[in-house]
Amino acid sequence: MDRRPPHLRIARGPEGVFSHQRASSAALRLEPVRRRFGLLKDFFVRYKSRYTLGVLFLVAVDALQLVVPRILGRVTDEVRAGKLDASGLARYVGLIVGIAVLVGVGRYFWRMYIMGTARLIDYTLRNKFFGHLETLSASFFNNHKTGDLMAHATNDIHAVRHALAQGVVMSVDAAFLTIATVAILVRTIDLRLVALGLAPLPFVALVVTHFSRVIHLRFLTVQKTFADLTDRTQENLSGIRVVKAFVQEESEVRKFTEVAQRVVDANMHLVRIWGLFWPLVQFIAGLGFVVVLGYGGRLVISGDISLGDFVAFGGYLGMATWPMMAIGWVVNTLQRGMASMDRLNVIFSTRPEVEDSTDLAPVSRLEGEIEFRGLLFAYPGQDRPALRNIDLRIPAGRTLGILGRTGSGKTTLVSLLLRLYNPGPGQLLIDGVDINKIPLAVLRRDIGYVPQDNFLFSSSVRENIGFASDDFSPEEIEKAAEIAGVADDVRGFPEGFGTIVGERGVTLSGGQKQRIAIARAIVKNPRILILDDCFSAVDTETEERILKSLRGIMRQRTTILISHRISTLKEADEIIVLDDGEIVERGDHESLVAAGGIYADIYERQLLEEELTSTEET
Amino acid sequence: MPGIQEEEAIGKAYDARLMRRLLRYAAPYRKHLVVCVILLFVITLTDLAQPYLTKIAIDDHINALGAPMLAFSPGQEPVPGVAIRGMVFVREKWLPKSFPRHDGEGDPTSGCPARIEFADGRYFLVMGDPSSESEAATRDELTPEEVRAFKARDAAGVLKLALALLGAMILGFVLNYAQVYILQYTGQKIIFNMRVEIFRHLQELSLSFFDKNPVGRLVTRVTNDTEALNEMYTSVLVNLFKDLFLLVGIIVVMLRMNLELALVSLSTVPIIIGVTVLFRAKAREAYRLVRTRLARINATLAENISGMRIIQIFGRERKKYEEFDSINRDYLAANMRELQVYAIFRPAMDLVSSLALALLVWYGGGRVLAGRLEFGVLYAFINYVQQFFRPIEDLTDKYNIMQSAMAASERIFMLLDTDAREPDPAKPASLGRPRGSIEFQNVWFAYNGEDWVLKDVSFKVEPGETCAFVGATGAGKTSIISLIGRMYEISRGRILIDGVDIRDIPRRELRRYIGVVQQDVFLFTGDIESNIRLNNTEISESDVQEAARHVNADAFIRRLPGGYRAEVKERGVTLSAGQRQLLAFARALAFDPAILVLDEATANIDTETEALIQDALARLVRGRTTLVVAHRLSTIQNADKIVVIHKGRVREIGTHQELLAKRGIYYQLYLLQYKEELSRAAAVGIGGRQQGDS
Repeated sequence: MDRRPPHLRIARGPEGVFSHQRASSAALRLEPVRRRFGLLKDFFVRYKSRYTLGVLFLVAVDALQLVVPRILGRVTDEVRAGKLDASGLARYVGLIVGIAVLVGVGRYFWRMYIMGTARLIDYTLRNKFFGHLETLSASFFNNHKTGDLMAHATNDIHAVRHALAQGVVMSVDAAFLTIATVAILVRTIDLRLVALGLAPLPFVALVVTHFSRVIHLRFLTVQKTFADLTDRTQENLSGIRVVKAFVQEESEVRKFTEVAQRVVDANMHLVRIWGLFWPLVQFIAGLGFVVVLGYGGRLVISGDISLGDFVAFGGYLGMATWPMMAIGWVVNTLQRGMASMDRLNVIFSTRPEVEDSTDLAPVSRLEGEIEFRGLLFAYPGQDRPALRNIDLRIPAGRTLGILGRTGSGKTTLVSLLLRLYNPGPGQLLIDGVDINKIPLAVLRRDIGYVPQDNFLFSSSVRENIGFASDDFSPEEIEKAAEIAGVADDVRGFPEGFGTIVGERGVTLSGGQKQRIAIARAIVKNPRILILDDCFSAVDTETEERILKSLRGIMRQRTTILISHRISTLKEADEIIVLDDGEIVERGDHESLVAAGGIYADIYERQLLEEELTSTEET
Repeated sequence: MPGIQEEEAIGKAYDARLMRRLLRYAAPYRKHLVVCVILLFVITLTDLAQPYLTKIAIDDHINALGAPMLAFSPGQEPVPGVAIRGMVFVREKWLPKSFPRHDGEGDPTSGCPARIEFADGRYFLVMGDPSSESEAATRDELTPEEVRAFKARDAAGVLKLALALLGAMILGFVLNYAQVYILQYTGQKIIFNMRVEIFRHLQELSLSFFDKNPVGRLVTRVTNDTEALNEMYTSVLVNLFKDLFLLVGIIVVMLRMNLELALVSLSTVPIIIGVTVLFRAKAREAYRLVRTRLARINATLAENISGMRIIQIFGRERKKYEEFDSINRDYLAANMRELQVYAIFRPAMDLVSSLALALLVWYGGGRVLAGRLEFGVLYAFINYVQQFFRPIEDLTDKYNIMQSAMAASERIFMLLDTDAREPDPAKPASLGRPRGSIEFQNVWFAYNGEDWVLKDVSFKVEPGETCAFVGATGAGKTSIISLIGRMYEISRGRILIDGVDIRDIPRRELRRYIGVVQQDVFLFTGDIESNIRLNNTEISESDVQEAARHVNADAFIRRLPGGYRAEVKERGVTLSAGQRQLLAFARALAFDPAILVLDEATANIDTETEALIQDALARLVRGRTTLVVAHRLSTIQNADKIVVIHKGRVREIGTHQELLAKRGIYYQLYLLQYKEELSRAAAVGIGGRQQGDS
C-alpha cells in the first residue's frame, strides 16, 4: 500500500539521471528544454493560458509603444508645414494619452501574468522540492549537507524563476522589438540613415553578452574572496584561545589584512570591467544619435527626409537600445536557469532507498516480538560492516538493554528497527515477518522512538509532544509529560504547554528536551519503545524517577534501552554489550556482573564515581 | 556586557549620530570624494548636452532656412555670411548679441532685412521688411545653386554639432568610468579600513566576551554588515549629488530656454513626487513582508531538513508538507503583493511621463504653430522631461539602501563600543624570562557572577617543578590553567609569577613565556609548519623541524604528503588526535616557554602514538615549570606535586605516594580513573602498587 500522499508521487523526477554538466549554448536547443522542464510539465499545461496572455499583452505594449515616435514625427511635419490647427493638435495629444493609458494597463497585465506565473512556478517548485526531500532516506541526508540543500532551494529555484520571468520577457522584447523597429524604419525612413544609425546597436548586444559573462566570472571571484574573508574571521574567532595564548594578535591582524586586501583587489578587478559596462553601453547607443544629428540633420537640410522623420528616428533609436541589451542578457539568464534546473533535477531524480516493497505482508499492527537472525549490516558505500553476527530474540513485552562504547553499533541497531536503512532480507523480523515486508507506516506508527539528539521543532511544547498525530487530547499529552517527568517544568513556562520551543520562545535545557522527546514517544502508545541514550542530560536522580514511572508502561510493551549507565540497564530482562559491531557479552545484570567482563568493569567504576560525587564539600 | 543583537529590524533611513560617525570613516578620502563630485558635475553637463545640441541643430541649422536674415553690402558684414547676388546674407542668429538690431533705417551698417520663403517646391528670397509700410518688399526666386550655398553652410554647422556631441559623449564616457573607478576604490578602502578596525578590536577583547557571543554573529559584523555600508558609501553618498546635479541642471536649462514651457513641464513634478511617496510606503511594506516570510520559509526548510529523520520516523511527512505548503503559500502571497505594487508603480510612472509628453506636445505644439516657440526648444524639452524621471525613481532605491546601512552601522558601532578589552597594567613591572615559580593565593574565580568555579584556591609551584591537577570532570582544573596566562580575571586573591602579581605584568610579556597545550588542539588552515610556528617569523624552518623532532612529531610529519608543507584541511580532520597532540607539543616547544601549561588529551589515542606522547612529554617538561591537567597515570606519578581539586576547592596536595597513603579523594579518583591503566602498567612491569578492590 502506498501511503505516501498523492503530491509526493507526482513529485518524482523524470526518468534517468542527468549529468551535472555546465550549461553550454547547446543547452538552448528545444529538446533538452522539454526534458529539463518535464518536471513542470503539468504546471505549464495548467498555466499555459496565463503565460500566453502575458506574452500577448507584452507584444501589444511593445507594438503600441512603437506608434509614439511616429506620432511625434507626424506632429512635427504638420506643425512645420502649418497644416495643423488646435483641434488637430488636440487629436494627436489625445492619441498619445490614449496609447499611454493602454500601455500602462498592458504593462500591469503582462507583469502580473508573466512575472506572477513565474512566482507560481517558484512556489510549485519549492513545494515539490520539499515534498521530494520527504521521500528520501537517511543516507541521502548523511551525504547532503543542510546548507547545500538550502542553497538548492533558494539559489537554484531563484535562477529558474528568473529565467522563466525576466528570461521570457527579454526574449519577447528582443525578438519583437528588434524586428518591428527595423521593419518600421526600413519602410518609412531613408535607408542610408537607418543603416548608419542602427549600425552601432549590434555592438550593444555584443558588449552586453561579453561583459555580462566576464562580470559574472569576476563576481564569482569576489564571492570567493568574500567567503575566504568569512572563513578567516571564523577561524580566528574560533581559535581565539590559541591566538591569545601565543600572543598572535598582531600577526592575525596582518593575515586578516591580507585577505581583506584580496577582497578589495577582487572587487576592483570586477569594477574595472563592471564600471566600464554602463558607460560603454551608453556610449555605443549614443553613437546612433551622433549619426542622427550629423547625417540625419544633413538629410533634412537637403530635403531628403522631413524633420518629422528626423524626430521619429531619434525616438526609435532610443527604443532600440533595450532589446539589444536584452539579446545580450537573455542568453546568460536562460543558461543559468537551465544549469540550476539541471542541479535540481539531480535531486528530483534521486530515488528513495527505503520504500514500501511491492510484496507487502498484510500487517496492520505490531505485537512486538523482535528477532535478529545473523544480521550483517554495512552503511551504503562503506565496506566495513557496522554490525556483524547479530543473533537476538526479544519476546513481545520484554526489555532489552544495550551497553557499548560510542561507535559500537547501538544506534545502528535501532536505526534498522525503524528501517531508516534496509537490513538484508530475512535478517530482521518483527512478529516473525521480515521487516522489509512490513508497511513503513505501520512499522513507524507502532514504534515509539526517543533519539539521542533529542531534536525538537520550533513549535509549542504541546505540538512537540503530540507530534505523531493530531488526534491526541490535551489530557493524553499532559499525562505523557507527567510520565516523562517534564510536566512540572512545562507548567512553569510562561505559556505552559503552549510555550514555543527554541529561539522564538523558551530555550530548553538538554534534560528538558530529552524528557519532552520521551513524552513524544510514549504518547503514541507504541508496541515497541526505543530509548536511545535519552537520559544523558538528566541527573541520576531524575533518571531514576522517570524510569520508575516508565516501568509501568514498559511492562506491557517491548522496550529497548540504550545507555552508558548501568543503573539504567540493570533491570532489563536481557542485556547485551556491543563492541565494534558485535555482541560480546549477554545476560542479565547479575550474570554479567558475575562474569567479570566489560560490563562488570564499568559497573564497578560507576559505583565508585557515585561514591566520589557524593563526597561532601567541607 | 550586552550581547550583540542580531535584530533584523528595519529602522530609520537616517540617523544623524550614526551618519556623523560613518562620515568620519570617509574623511581620509575626502579628496577622492570631492574629485568624484566634480567629475559627476561635468558628467551631468555631458548628459545634458545631447538635447541641447540637438535643439541648436534644429533651430539654427536644420530648420533655419526661413529664419530672418540681414543683407549687407560686401565688406560691410559684421560676421561671415553667404554671398549671393552681390550681397552678403547673414542670419540674425549669427550676429553677436551686442549688434544693434535694425533700428537705424537705411543705415548700410545695420543691414537690410531679408528671408527665404518656400512655396510649391520653390525657394524665394524676400528682401525688405514685410511689416514696414515704407519699403516695398521684393520677392525673387532663388536658383538651386543659390539655395545650396545656404544649405551647405547649415550642413557644415550640423556636422560641427554632431562632432561636438561625439566629443561630449567621449568625455562623458571617460569621466564616467574614472568616477565609478575612483568611487568604488574609495568605498572599498573605507570598508577595508573598517573591517581591519573591527577585527583588531575583536582581537583585543577578553575571552569572556567570546564565551557570551556566538562566533557566527561576530563574523557577520566583520563581513556582511560592512558590505551593507559599502553600498551606502558608493551608491548613496556620492550618487545623491549626481541626482541632484541632474535635476537642478535640467531645471536650470529648461528655465533658461523657455520659462513658460519650463513651468508647464514642471507641473507634473508634484504628481511624480506624489506617486513616488505613495509607492515608497507600499513598497517598503511589501518588501518587509517578503523578507520576513522568506526568512520564515528558510528557517522552516532548514529545520525540517535537520529534523527529517524525526518526521519520517513519526510518519508525519504529510503534515509537515501541509505546513510547508501553507508557509510557502504565504510567501507566494507576499511576493504577489510586491509584484502588484511594482506592476502598478512602474507603469504609473511611465504613464505620468507620457502625460508630461502629451502636455508638452499640446502646449508647446500650439506655441510653435503660433510662431512663438522654436521647434528645437520643444524637442529639447521632450528629451529633458524624460531624463527628469530617472533620478526621482532612483531615490526610492537609495532609501532602502540607507535603511539597511543604518541598521548595519548600529550593530557595528555597538560592537566597536563594547569595552571588554583585556586591561594592561598602568605601571607595568618588567618580568623578563621568569624563573618560573607560580603561586595562587586565595584565588576565587567565576565565569558568571557568583557561580564560583574556584573557591579560595592556594598552592605554590617552585621553578622547574611539574605540578599535576587531578579531579573529577568539572572540578575546575582547566580554569586554573586558563588563569595563569590571565585569560580571565580572577575575582579575589592573587596569582604570582616569580613573586610578581600577574596583573602587573604586560599581558603580551606574560603570555610570551607561557606555552599552552590545550586538550582540543586547534589547528589553523595552512600547512604543518605554519601550525607549529604560527606567524612567528623569529622561528626558523630548522627551529620548527628541531622542535618537531624533539617531541617525536617529525616522523609522522615526514610521512605526510608534502612533509612540513602538507596542507592542514578543515582544522586538521585528516590527522589523528594523537598526531594533533604532538603538533601542539611542537608548537609549544618552538616558542621555548619558561612555563608550560597543558591539558592532556582524553581522546582515545593509539598505543604507538601514546608511547611517543609520553616520551615527548618527559622531554618537554625538562627545565620548565609545568602545570598539567593530568589524565595519564604516568604523568601523575612523575609529577613533583599533585593538587587534588574537588568542587572548586583544593582538597589535597602532595606526591602520589603521600596522597595514596591518605586514602582520601585522590585515592578514590585513582581507583576510578587509573585502575585499568594501572593493571596494564603492572602487567608490563612499570611499577605502581596494585591496589585492592574497593
